[in-house]
Amino acid sequence: MEQSAGKMASGTTDPAPEAPAKLELRNISKWFGPEGEGVHAVDDCSIEVKKGEFIVVVGPSGCGKSTLMTVGAGLEEPTHGEVLVDGKPAGPPGPTRSVVFQKFALFPSETVEQNIKFGLQMTGVSAAEQEARLAEQLKIMGLEQFRKSYPSELSGGMQQRVAIARALVMQPEILLMDEPFGALDAQTRTILQEEVQRLHREKHYTVLFITHSVEEAVYLGDRVVVMTRRPGRIKRVIELPRDVAWKTGDIELASEHPEFIEFRREIWGLVREEIVSI
Amino acid sequence: MIEKRLERMGVMTDRGKATAYGIFSLSLLLILWICATSLFQWIEPRVLPSPTRVIGQFAWILTEPFSGLRLPGHILSSLERWGWGVLTAGLIGIPVGVFFAWNPWFRTFVNPVFELIHFIPPFAYIPLAVLWFGASTATQAMVVFVAAFPSIVINSQLGVAQVEKIYIDAARVLGASQLRTLWRVILPAAAPSIYTGLRIAISNGWMALVGAELVVGKVGLGFMIAQGQENASVATIFVGIITIGCLGVLIDTLVQRTERFVLPWRKVAS
Repeated sequence: MEQSAGKMASGTTDPAPEAPAKLELRNISKWFGPEGEGVHAVDDCSIEVKKGEFIVVVGPSGCGKSTLMTVGAGLEEPTHGEVLVDGKPAGPPGPTRSVVFQKFALFPSETVEQNIKFGLQMTGVSAAEQEARLAEQLKIMGLEQFRKSYPSELSGGMQQRVAIARALVMQPEILLMDEPFGALDAQTRTILQEEVQRLHREKHYTVLFITHSVEEAVYLGDRVVVMTRRPGRIKRVIELPRDVAWKTGDIELASEHPEFIEFRREIWGLVREEIVSI
Repeated sequence: MIEKRLERMGVMTDRGKATAYGIFSLSLLLILWICATSLFQWIEPRVLPSPTRVIGQFAWILTEPFSGLRLPGHILSSLERWGWGVLTAGLIGIPVGVFFAWNPWFRTFVNPVFELIHFIPPFAYIPLAVLWFGASTATQAMVVFVAAFPSIVINSQLGVAQVEKIYIDAARVLGASQLRTLWRVILPAAAPSIYTGLRIAISNGWMALVGAELVVGKVGLGFMIAQGQENASVATIFVGIITIGCLGVLIDTLVQRTERFVLPWRKVAS
């Protein structure tokens, strides 16, 4: 670890004058199977997420955006490129980078509170602290009455709330969300989108969010990264306005705002090119 | 439609229906037996004794020693051997199965040997067991072990191998070590399959035990049947057979009942 950090410092080509990005994916390429023969999922993608930023990656399905997330979390090694946290190699997955999966991935044999406490127990947080943080998350996500329930007793929306609570309870520096609302019905999705928006505004989480929904990207993102179809490359990065009124309200209202409509049209145009050109 | 309505009215639940059918078919069998023997004497008593005769013999063995022990004594010694065999098979088989799934290299290495062993009937080990342990509890327990072991290993391995990667990913991201992931995520997820393996092992072991007792030993239900043959007492044989069957059902039901307590989240899943 220290060695490679030293090497980086000595090879001073790019250290920016400002603080390094909280999470940086640098020139990531990923092949599944042997390079040149297997599936080329991601090709030379670089994304920087600054502290407190909400970055949304959007692209057609199968474009490798989920791969980007698993690589960013450390669950997969990139074939080329590297993942940096605060400018240092990120290393194996761990609680500094919490992940919310599309399929919730709640442990079926554990109750809601056991699921939420899981990571705290793994990292040696004291019992009193565990209880305090659990209580806080149950309250924030509105899960108090379900604390003794098993995941199979909950609706999809409730399960995803538990999954988000399980990620947030770790007080992660970075939150990675892989199409977290993709498996939910439209109404539940809307409500959770608004809640994530509110959480981000209040707590300034650093988020890398993967989705195929353009509306979701425009509503949630500070910056939207549009990917090409496979092998996924970065097609365009679009800066969105950050502290505007329409982003802080309901998504229903936001989606009627001219600015929202304009961005949606622009991003959808880019995504559509990738789908149509197949 | 009608069944649905009856169910809503609380007349018939699925479980109630199953019990009703069970009682019905067993009574039918009993009636047939009574007709064939006591009532119309279709079959000679030395071939098939009447229910009354079997019940009488049952009561007799219950109070008077038969070949050394009363019926409860034979039952207990059978259960003891069976218990030791299944217990050791579980204690060794579950870790071995988990290890097989955990370590694919080891699995490919050992599987051929395992496949071969799988095809050797448990009874083929009886002579070996006798040479190793003499005519002791360990002999029959070893036969039970051999009969129970494969299904435990195979099902444990399957259970672990089928755990979805996303759960393991989730545990890694939350900072769990491999060992704790195994304990808190993989084993609970594999538990239903391990349980299935145990249930198969329990019935295989029970059957193998009776077979082993026919050949070796001086106590046990299998031995009792063999003595029934020696003494030309068909009724004793029937008492033995029926006891073996009933105990098998009883054990399986008990094990099934424990599943609800050991795997509490399963009742909501299914």
